[in-house]
Amino acid sequence: MKHLEVHVVPKALGLLLGASLLLASAGCATVRPEQRAILADPTMQFDEKAADRAALEHALDNREGSTGGGSVRGGGCGCN
Amino acid sequence: MLSRMTPSLASHSGAQRALGGVLLGLTVALAATSARAQVASADVNTALFVEPSRRSGLTVINPSATAAVKPSNWLTIQGGYEADIVSGASESVKGGRLSNVDIVTSATHFADTRNAFNGGFTITRASTHLTGSYTYGTEHDYRSNAFAVSAGTDFLQKNTQIELSYGRGFDKVCTTAFAASDAPSSRLALDNSQGCFTDDKKRASRDISLDNFQVGWTQTWTPVFATQMVLSAALQNGFLGNPYRSVVIASAGDQALENHPENRARGAIGLRGKYYARGLQTAFSAGARLYRDTWDIFGQTYELDAERYMLPWLRVLVRARYYTQTKALFWSDDYTGGEPATGPRGQYWSGDRELSPLSSYLIGARALATREGRPGQRVLGLFLSFSGALSFDLLKTNLRDFTLGGRAPDDTLALLWSLGLRGEF
Repeated sequence: MKHLEVHVVPKALGLLLGASLLLASAGCATVRPEQRAILADPTMQFDEKAADRAALEHALDNREGSTGGGSVRGGGCGCN
Repeated sequence: MLSRMTPSLASHSGAQRALGGVLLGLTVALAATSARAQVASADVNTALFVEPSRRSGLTVINPSATAAVKPSNWLTIQGGYEADIVSGASESVKGGRLSNVDIVTSATHFADTRNAFNGGFTITRASTHLTGSYTYGTEHDYRSNAFAVSAGTDFLQKNTQIELSYGRGFDKVCTTAFAASDAPSSRLALDNSQGCFTDDKKRASRDISLDNFQVGWTQTWTPVFATQMVLSAALQNGFLGNPYRSVVIASAGDQALENHPENRARGAIGLRGKYYARGLQTAFSAGARLYRDTWDIFGQTYELDAERYMLPWLRVLVRARYYTQTKALFWSDDYTGGEPATGPRGQYWSGDRELSPLSSYLIGARALATREGRPGQRVLGLFLSFSGALSFDLLKTNLRDFTLGGRAPDDTLALLWSLGLRGEF
């Protein structure tokens, strides 16, 4: 337990501090609504759930040992 | 599961009937609500995954259909159907470079179909939304129930968006009827899925629980630059191996059911950025993802893509991706040798290539055409907008330490085609 406290807690605190600083700096970055024409375009969207992307991620999930960044899926592994 | 070793029990016509039924139901639902709905949409997609091989090729057809309606400004209701129609051949026994088992010719043909049905809702209030969904999936040898909820909000004049999500899965997988007290080295693999989820005494149903957590932070920094960071974690508990796969665990050729740990904790952090280059009139995206789990796999993913309008109604995307991972702590290509490189790795054994050290390269492209209607002038007399997307990807995997009886597998090149149509009413 001591080992955990010595090594993990400072790392977690550092991560929290870094994330807080990043979030705080985000408040300084203001893009006004009239400046959003490009950001609103579909080519600039992160969450565009194109069918081909979903099919690709489905295939990759079944061909690689890692996963993450996605939502919950049902139905088993699909295609191994 | 849709395992490589599942026998030919699938009924493609059954899946087609199910798909037809769902499509008909969605059409009726859309027709019934479109008169008062502000927006309704329907998506129909088909993907084809092909992994050519002389002995163990794989083909997966993945049709899906989704419909969504907005009965009011704040509510969206969604339902869908998806299938994986799988056929091919696979080796039922994994042995490594010291094995004298004729693994290559042991490849058995299989076919199966996974059917998954989902439904959900989204409630939107001002700058906040709440989404809930449920998915039920069924195969001959696998059942799954998954619930998911997510909530998101934006602030700082909509420049910052935070989304939290949680999902819980309750799955069941069919195995042979071994007892928990049986030595893992005496457990047998399934040779087919007959009798699964019945009172057959030779079959057993084992639980798998899945918990998924995710936090996403999207930030716009300038009128042409935005970033997204995603942290995700997953906990898995239960039977996490392949019930059909045996592994050679003794130099005399003794085989036993693949034996994986029952718990796995997984974590990933992904960071992506999007930048629009005005001079090139192109949106560029770059991303990196780091992954780590308690089975000691460390994965790295790097992606690049670029997308631009070739015509006002046609945009084209090209993408490239590199992935690499280390092996699981208990991975060995062969468990029968005396040295660490080809010997036992503790109490577990695996024949899963996804747990071996590997890297992969992917290149792909997508074309997407969109036609927008005008007030009083719908596309094809029906749609407010209509779009079609066609994509192709090529994935090449380099298995650094995986062999089948000392031979490198030849099914390491995969081709993926996808066609999707979307209409908004």
